[in-house]
Amino acid sequence: MAPWAAHDRPFLDPAVVARLGTLELKARTIVEGFLSGLHRSPFKGFSVEFAEYRQYIPGDDLSTIDWKVFARSDRYYVKKFEEETNLDCHLMLDVSGSMGYGSHHAMSKFEYAAVLAASLAYLMNRQRDAVGLTAFDETIVQMLPASSRPGHLRAVLVTLDRLKTAHRTDVSKPLHLLAESLTKRGMVILISDLLDDADAVISGLKHFLYRGIDVIVFHVLDPDEIDFPFERATRFEDLETSDEVLAVPGAVRDHYLKALDAMVERYRRELGAVGIDYVQLNTKHPLELALLSYLSTRARAL
Amino acid sequence: MSFLSPLFLVGAAAAALPILLHLLKRDPDVRVKFAAVKLLKEAPVEQTERHRLRQLLLLTLRIAALVLLALAFARPFVPDGAAAAASRATIVALDTSFSLDAPGRFDRAKQLARSAIDRVPAGEAVGVVTFADEAAITAKPSGDRVLARSAVDEAAVGFGSTRYRAALSTAAQALGGRTGTIVLVTDLQEGGWDAGDRAVVPEGVAIELADVGEMPPNLAVVNVHSAGDRIVATIRNTGPSARDARVHVTIDGRPAGDATAALGPRQSGEVSFPAAPGRAAVVSVDDPGGVRADDTRYAVLEATRAAQVAVITGSGDLAREAFYAEHALAAGGARGYRPVGLSGATLASMPANGLNDYAAVVLVSTRGLDRHGRELLAGYVQSGGGLVLAAGPDVDGEVVADVLGHDAELRVSTVPGPSATPRAIAPADVRHPIFHPFASNAAALGLVTFRQAARVDGSGCQTIARFTTGEAALLDCSAGEGRGLVLASDLNNRWNDFPLHSTFVPFLHEAVRYVGSGRAQGSDYAVGDAPAGAPRRPGIATVADRQHAAPRTVAINVDPRESDPARLTPEEFQSAITHMKDAASAEARGEARQQEDRQHLWQYAIALMAIALVAEGWLAARTV
Repeated sequence: MAPWAAHDRPFLDPAVVARLGTLELKARTIVEGFLSGLHRSPFKGFSVEFAEYRQYIPGDDLSTIDWKVFARSDRYYVKKFEEETNLDCHLMLDVSGSMGYGSHHAMSKFEYAAVLAASLAYLMNRQRDAVGLTAFDETIVQMLPASSRPGHLRAVLVTLDRLKTAHRTDVSKPLHLLAESLTKRGMVILISDLLDDADAVISGLKHFLYRGIDVIVFHVLDPDEIDFPFERATRFEDLETSDEVLAVPGAVRDHYLKALDAMVERYRRELGAVGIDYVQLNTKHPLELALLSYLSTRARAL
Repeated sequence: MSFLSPLFLVGAAAAALPILLHLLKRDPDVRVKFAAVKLLKEAPVEQTERHRLRQLLLLTLRIAALVLLALAFARPFVPDGAAAAASRATIVALDTSFSLDAPGRFDRAKQLARSAIDRVPAGEAVGVVTFADEAAITAKPSGDRVLARSAVDEAAVGFGSTRYRAALSTAAQALGGRTGTIVLVTDLQEGGWDAGDRAVVPEGVAIELADVGEMPPNLAVVNVHSAGDRIVATIRNTGPSARDARVHVTIDGRPAGDATAALGPRQSGEVSFPAAPGRAAVVSVDDPGGVRADDTRYAVLEATRAAQVAVITGSGDLAREAFYAEHALAAGGARGYRPVGLSGATLASMPANGLNDYAAVVLVSTRGLDRHGRELLAGYVQSGGGLVLAAGPDVDGEVVADVLGHDAELRVSTVPGPSATPRAIAPADVRHPIFHPFASNAAALGLVTFRQAARVDGSGCQTIARFTTGEAALLDCSAGEGRGLVLASDLNNRWNDFPLHSTFVPFLHEAVRYVGSGRAQGSDYAVGDAPAGAPRRPGIATVADRQHAAPRTVAINVDPRESDPARLTPEEFQSAITHMKDAASAEARGEARQQEDRQHLWQYAIALMAIALVAEGWLAARTV
């Protein structure tokens, strides 16, 4: 069963999203559609501020209906609130060479990650959370401090749009740099394929925890990386190092999948043990699933 | 490196074609830029460079295996070093026949041979062949002049007679396909060529003659035979002036008489001596200045009669029933046969070994041949005797069915009345020994007209001649240790005119000689035809033809034809030689085949191919 089957409408297929125009449009389409499909508003919090009235639609919480307005107009309206938060969210996007891989039937990992980052930024912006962006490969290549100013979202989206994949990965170094630079509690969202030394990555992520910062890790993998569907003897060239390995997939598939499973399982186990949400994403699966994970973690963080 | 069958090398190229096609048409390498190569590296996969090396090695091994296979089929060989290097060669063929045995003649022949060697240009190979009845390569062609001169120095005159054909054939073989010269050092005797003989030498080979000179005045004992109570010796004077020949005879080593014969120029004369009891006689003539080997002749006194051949007719009267066969067999004197007529009735009363004294049996009639007679014939043939069966009008097919024994049944059926179409005989295989006398003129047999013939067939029989109508004319049947020849017609001028043709006598002689080869023949042999076990030199010898057979005494003499001083002119000699284009390549092929046989390089190629395949299998099992 598809992971989005329980919802009223299916989530957007990444292939469809990929054909949308700008990054902003992609993000808006995903987030708005995602939010409108939720049965229950996730915006309920300790401190809320009235935002607007909206006509009741089935599925809205009945407690939010403004009965006074109903008495005056004989129509159901619900009161919309916007949370007042001071959450700083930092999006860490991996732009190393390995993120550039994409099988023919889906977005590349980088495109997927960029849309995800844009969607998250859009969602955060709608929730008035401060959103920052850090792009890195073996070092930090682009950094926007967290801000909730109205124009900041556009700056984030433009930055995302201009990013290119290029160099080798060194996840831990940017993580430590960012961890050192953050002075306020908040949330860090790492979007990466984590094809790096696992010990270093986990160590870097733990650095945030020491500073009281919640972390979500979106581990982006291409379907080819998950299933290894190759059949013929193939010369595999490393996107970052250009090393070549000739292999007959039938002969190495089991070994590869075991190695991948071991890596994923390690991240899942060791990150979960310290309270870091680890979400494995398949680039052929809808992005909304990632948003759900974010919202769940955000709710816990507040 | 040369090849016996170089065409197979083309096969190597053809074998490489599929590989080439595979390389050309194979899909390009699938290359994928991949992110998780780090995880792949942990799998047991090959690095590209190493893989390429292995693939190249595999390809090399596979091609090597195919090439080696083709190489083995091409039969490689390494041509002999120095000889192969020289494209031209000179072969000095030195005559060692006894006609050069006169004082000083062979020394002169050797001197001529040495001079011929010295004249060979530097860089050209030189070899030596000695020849008489047979020829032998005594020094293979090489650049070593000392070796060639040494071979000449070691050559000695023998007792053989001159045979140019053997000399030229062996010299051409020694050339091994090269061009060059054959220098024939000889006295150019006319007798060196058999009648109608021709020699074939490769094109590009010149024949040079080094003439030793004509034979000096010579006296020769050319024949000795026993005539009742006398021993008659024939002495030939080959000189241009009359001579008195002093002749001596010894019997079993004891002097038995001397005589003098006055011989005119180039004249022969007979000298007779009273015969004394003894086994063998030696007649010699005093001839200090002539050829020595023909001064003495040996004869076996007790067996100077020709070998007996039993001719079985209805009554045993050969003059009436086998006139032509009788006279044909008897032709040639001591070299012929002594036909003895036997009737069926005679055979009926003959003991089991009664035919053992006969060299062969000629069966022309089955009248009176009873069961005992047939068993006698069968036993004779089975124990090594020879039977010539002329399936004429007096032969009953049912009677002769088992004359060769039960394991060689004959099927003979006669068709009454003359045939509508006369037919001739044609050899099915001219290489058969009985056709040797007709080798140069096999068509002569075709002149015989057969008006009628029997149908002949038999188990274990091979058809060696057929009539022009397609029926079997002559069968060669093997039976036990003996042999039978079955002619599908008669020998008495009734169904055919064979006895009226010149081919009849040699045919019958060869037929009897062929079937009776296991039986005792005459007692006088030329050196070149000496029976097995007898020395190849003049003298009296004792030989045993068969196991358990009683040994017989034979006289071995030089061939009297060699004493004939008649000479050829160089032009006449050259006219008997044919230069053939294919002969050169045939000689080269023969030489190449011999070298290849000696070296067996193809076996190494096969072994290497096997190693390559094993290595390929081992490597392939370890390669993706």
